[in-house]
Amino acid sequence: MRIAIDTGGTFTDCVFVRDGALEVLKVPSTPHNPAEAIRHALEKILLGAQRPATSPGSNPVFLQRRQSGRQRGEAFLDLTCGTTVGTNALLERRGGRVALVTTAGFEDVVEIGRQARLRLYDFFVEKPLPLVSRERRFGLRERVGYDGRALARPTPAELARIVNKVVRSRVQSVAVCLLFSFANPAHEQAAARALRAKGLQVSVSHEILPEFREYERTSTTVVNAYLVPVLSSYLAEIEHHAAYAAREGRAGSHPARTQVRVMQSSGGIVRASIAAREPVRTILSGPAGGVLGAQYVASRAGFDRIITFDMGGTSTDVALIEGSLRTTNESQVAELPVAVPMLDIHTVGAGGGSLARFDRAGALRVGPESAGADPGPICYGRGEQPTVTDAHLVLGRIAAEGFLGGEFRLDERRTRMWMERTRGSMRSLEAFAQGILDVANAVMEKAIRVISVERGHDPRDYALVAFGGAGGLHACELASALRMPRVLVPKFPGGLSALGILRADVVKDFSQTVRLTVGARQETRAALDHAFRRLKRRGLREMRAEGFSPGQICTDCLLDMRYVGQAYELTVPAVGDFVESFHRAHERRYGYADPARSTEIVNVRARLIGATPKPELPRRREGGADASAAVLGTRRTVFARHAWATLVYDRAKLRAGNRFAGPAILTEYSATTVLSPGWRARVDAYGNLSLTPSLA
Amino acid sequence: MTFDPTRLEIFKNLFHSVAEEMGAALRRAAFSPNIKERRDYSCAVFDGAGRVLAMGDHMPVHLGSMPMSVAAAIAALKLAPGDVALLNDPYAGGTHLPDLTMVMPVYFPGSPAPMFYIANRAHHADIGGAQAGSMGLARDIFQEGLRIPPVRIIERNGLNRDLLALILGNVRTAREREGDLTAQIAACRIGERRLGEIVAKYGRREVAAYGNHLLAYSASMMRTVLRSIPNGSYRGKDFLDDDGISNVPLRIASTIRIRGERAEVDFSGSAPQCAGNVNAVAAIAYSAVFYVFRCLLDEQVPATSGLMQPIRVFAPEGTIINARPPAAVAGGNVETSQRMVDSLLRALAHAIPKRIPAASQGTMNNLTLGGADPRRGGAPFAYYETIAGGMGARPGKDGVSGIHTHMTNSLNTPVEALEEAYPVRVRCYALRSGSGGPGLYRGGDGIVREIELLTETQVGLLCDRRRFSPYGLAGGKPGATGRNALIVDGRPRLLAGKCGFYAPAGAIVRIETPGGGGWGKQKGRTQRKKERVKRK
Repeated sequence: MRIAIDTGGTFTDCVFVRDGALEVLKVPSTPHNPAEAIRHALEKILLGAQRPATSPGSNPVFLQRRQSGRQRGEAFLDLTCGTTVGTNALLERRGGRVALVTTAGFEDVVEIGRQARLRLYDFFVEKPLPLVSRERRFGLRERVGYDGRALARPTPAELARIVNKVVRSRVQSVAVCLLFSFANPAHEQAAARALRAKGLQVSVSHEILPEFREYERTSTTVVNAYLVPVLSSYLAEIEHHAAYAAREGRAGSHPARTQVRVMQSSGGIVRASIAAREPVRTILSGPAGGVLGAQYVASRAGFDRIITFDMGGTSTDVALIEGSLRTTNESQVAELPVAVPMLDIHTVGAGGGSLARFDRAGALRVGPESAGADPGPICYGRGEQPTVTDAHLVLGRIAAEGFLGGEFRLDERRTRMWMERTRGSMRSLEAFAQGILDVANAVMEKAIRVISVERGHDPRDYALVAFGGAGGLHACELASALRMPRVLVPKFPGGLSALGILRADVVKDFSQTVRLTVGARQETRAALDHAFRRLKRRGLREMRAEGFSPGQICTDCLLDMRYVGQAYELTVPAVGDFVESFHRAHERRYGYADPARSTEIVNVRARLIGATPKPELPRRREGGADASAAVLGTRRTVFARHAWATLVYDRAKLRAGNRFAGPAILTEYSATTVLSPGWRARVDAYGNLSLTPSLA
Repeated sequence: MTFDPTRLEIFKNLFHSVAEEMGAALRRAAFSPNIKERRDYSCAVFDGAGRVLAMGDHMPVHLGSMPMSVAAAIAALKLAPGDVALLNDPYAGGTHLPDLTMVMPVYFPGSPAPMFYIANRAHHADIGGAQAGSMGLARDIFQEGLRIPPVRIIERNGLNRDLLALILGNVRTAREREGDLTAQIAACRIGERRLGEIVAKYGRREVAAYGNHLLAYSASMMRTVLRSIPNGSYRGKDFLDDDGISNVPLRIASTIRIRGERAEVDFSGSAPQCAGNVNAVAAIAYSAVFYVFRCLLDEQVPATSGLMQPIRVFAPEGTIINARPPAAVAGGNVETSQRMVDSLLRALAHAIPKRIPAASQGTMNNLTLGGADPRRGGAPFAYYETIAGGMGARPGKDGVSGIHTHMTNSLNTPVEALEEAYPVRVRCYALRSGSGGPGLYRGGDGIVREIELLTETQVGLLCDRRRFSPYGLAGGKPGATGRNALIVDGRPRLLAGKCGFYAPAGAIVRIETPGGGGWGKQKGRTQRKKERVKRK
């Protein structure tokens, strides 16, 4: 059986395939130890599924069956997890105790960083604390030149001196990052060998990120070393739970094989044992699942140019997809650069729980401060500062009753009272609420601009795929502001990340800095072939460990190119006339190209992909347009300062082919979708809501 | 005046994103490490009257002074649609010669005057003159490099190739300059395109109205800050070590007068303009004042011209604050600007002691290197960098170590990029332990940087705080002064703060940057430590 699990702040979502049917299970998350919720879910799926599904009202566990299937022991449990353990450990600085070995004279690079401050006009600005403090940073006397020449080799005595110091510092994990190790890794290898011989857990920069820019590479390697102790114990726990659940679930017959994999930030999955060694690659594990899920759902619905919009309680993740997924190597997590490939996901601090306030000169602000789970929005009963969720409630866009299937009642009277007190100079309560939503939308509009317009893509060419608890509430207004022609709200927006994880391929990324000026065609080609051969050799070896034979693997070869003298590269496929592709990419991104200038290849990249079996969403025949069977009632709702009698639909009762016009509210178990006036909705063959402006 | 708070926030974000998008384009398409790696550039959006509507979060010393560039371009040229002005003349809208500024009007069909101006400024690693890097000691501006008054680099959408050829013929690294200038032009075009989209979406009237609202809003924000400062007249003074030619310290005096919601800043009493290159122009004084008062606002406020509306700056002519031509000015922008901030903060510390930090390193430690690169067949090279130091301790917080403060925020060039691009080898880049001033809160530590020159190189150093240390406040001790040395055959020789020389291959330049001043009495810190130990 294949199970995918995405751990979120509130719920842990599971999607799994049993007897050919796709099922979804939600259990409450256990933030103190996320593995608890996973154990709970595995028990439910593998051991407790004989029991009838409990109703969401009486019990927090919600089992939704897409199709009925016969319970039967299976030979193989294949579990894939999206995890926020790494991100949280980094954000809360709860990683392991780490030592760092650098080239002597450069022990402080990790603390100096790029020597700039984060905010310009702030006397009280702080630098992010380095993950490894000064007394655990050790300088090895050695040096490699820019061209890879060994200028000073580390002597055995010098290596012994450093190893001794590291051992005495009593650390759980060691990072090694020497200058120019991407050009010649011999010194790093020698240091790593000596440290590993003492039984130390070592992260080595040329293995994790063999690319130039020492601070970014050191930071990435240190983040890795910092997360190794945390992730390895967490993943060991999950493997234990998986093995236990698989064994028990089979009622004691021959031992069940289990395999645990982890979603990486790049959108591919790897074995848990590898993730435990290179945890820095899993930092955006959860959001990556959402992007993959959105991409899949959208492509089935016929859209391959999409902008994903995943709005949760405290933050919103957006990503742009044009056919294939795009990764970046310039991410920052918890204010530290992490330069391994990650899906290009942009996060802003605005979500349903974001707080609204007036600043000293009377401008309305929303976020980044959030009411969080405690006190939460006013309508949850304890908060006193208005949030985005409260604004939706006042405008009638979410129902006081039907929240989380009726489990949770929202206190509208309380919200109105507090918002009335805090509305400042705003004309009315409704104007205040609308203002909060407009500002929140502006923040999100800016986020989408960052990933689209700023990079040369026109949002008008893309469909907006909205999910997460609050995605559907803002989708129409956001799409209107950006003049996007269509919104897609996927079937079960809550389980989308887990679905993405379930469908992910095994992906391994390898890169190497080469710094090759493009010269005579044949010479360049030969040098590239050589570099790619080396990357692929390593890649095939690692893919074999994941259970793939060379014939099952597909490889993408890419080049990071720039004009000779530039510092930022554009990535182009290493096929055909890549120089021409580069000129075109430059023209598109920066508005000009200069074919007379010579170009250089900075890094070569190989991405090896091993395909996994993929469950497909069931497709239904589209029926009649009449959606009246799903209508729950009518509610007063405010749009653009006017009150409307708005139909409320139960999304679970909508059928493929149903059509209706806005304004309308669609409620479901964990999300609400708002169809604005002037927009039309259609339920497609997969159960997705496809929303379009009437006049488009 | 009434505005819709929501719309205001939206327009604030829109204008700001235009400036940021211009910056991103400039950085990514640029060629010199100083722009692409160190990000020594700035972008801003102006209304039709040349008032700043938004600035990217770039270099403070540029940002406050860019309005003068726009004003100078407007005054000198009648910019038509499709024109872009270029300038660097400190006496006509510039600050110092390496900073090349482009100003572009943004017209809309049917309107006789531009609705906006956009501008960007980038520090070029060389603009000619006696010394590679164009930051060396000089006695007048003509020795410092090529002086460009406002001229059209783009005319009716066509590149002025004659002008470009003239510029490239006068600089050491022409191909790199050409690439950087092209990137600056590309950034203008991106700004123009984005403003066009905004106007298409919201309409001219609305956009113009909210531009005005933003200015008024910023002004009212600043007024609330000024009201929070007790009325009075506050004096501060500090000194530059010397002008690099004589040994005389140069005084920077400032008086800040607060009256209700208005402020007056007067630099009277500052030293007369000097023979060396640490003369500033009035635009820099304006920048320093802008920076200091902007920092007193704790909210994320749009950095518009409105912030300066309640503040009047008096920069007496003929002083190092506001020099007359043809004084040399390369160091005014980078060194004198820092000292003006130190002087202003010292004055404000009398008024609002709990909101003002002790002195930060107070210099940018400018290093220029130039020569012929033997690895590239003797092709000329010119490199410029500034080195971070210690931040002054804050009331309630230690200062940060190894960080750029106040008027600059440029990044470092990665060692792995620097050695690939130039014939140098970095021997050491580390924190200078113990250089921060002691106190209840400690000043941040400076940096030690050693660069080995692999070929004969013309070296320029323009550093301050080598004699007068960064001050402490409220009883805190000063930070350590900086030190420059040249190590030849293992023998170090102390260098002056400001100097220029040819160094042989194998020589090592060692720069130790100043630490920040401490805040509060050291006794309190020991006490605090003891208490912490007890609690444990």
